[in-house]
Amino acid sequence: MTVETRIDGDNVIATVCGEIDGKTAPQVQTELLAALQEGKRLLLDMRGVTFLSSAGLRMLLLLYRQIAARKGKVVLVGVSEEIRDTMSMTGFINFFILADTLEAGLSALS
Amino acid sequence: MISLCLPATLDSLDELGKYIMAATTEAGLDTKPAYGLRLAVDEIATNIITHGYEEAERAGDIAVSSELTDSSLTIVLEDTGIPFDPLSRTLPGEEELNMPLEERDIGGLGIFLVLKGVDNFSYEFSEGKNRNIFVMNRSGRG
Repeated sequence: MTVETRIDGDNVIATVCGEIDGKTAPQVQTELLAALQEGKRLLLDMRGVTFLSSAGLRMLLLLYRQIAARKGKVVLVGVSEEIRDTMSMTGFINFFILADTLEAGLSALS
Repeated sequence: MISLCLPATLDSLDELGKYIMAATTEAGLDTKPAYGLRLAVDEIATNIITHGYEEAERAGDIAVSSELTDSSLTIVLEDTGIPFDPLSRTLPGEEELNMPLEERDIGGLGIFLVLKGVDNFSYEFSEGKNRNIFVMNRSGRG
């Protein structure tokens, strides 16, 4: 599991690869929250994320709350069909902007 | 498939996931049901490790085994952590699932995903062991 973040003005561009589970979610969360000190709009590139458990949902919930409180925005890019299913059945999907490509994600962010 | 005994730590989730995916491949499950089963097993194993062992300051193992028949794939997790019946947990209802994320209580989502992900889930406790049993039908799904 890897997390890379870069700051571009008010935007935080983060790329996560691997599996987000009870083991890795706290690490992803720490890194993303640290990066969000620098900006309030988050693009989370999830094209390389192959698995997301409820620990990952908890992480998304926390990020969403942090960003919503600061009137920011969250865009998720390249969420797999299986993870979309998980987000749909738990009612999470309606609260996030989803984009298929990085380009579409960046334009949704601005 | 041969059964596997893993230390009850979060580091084991990775290997457990690989075991489940190998079992689903052998059973010829489609991608979505395979993912649903893997997610279900991961959720229960995470609960066992964090609540059944770590918070209780116990150490131990989780044993995972699988049984394949013509009609189904069954995965069994066995542990000696604190007895806990996941089915005793109150599940989030429709109203809860439609609440704004700002107001949501996230508890119970894991078990909800377990029940959504498998064709049958059951729990039993006997001779000091928790047994969580996951069943996937091999035909006639969706």
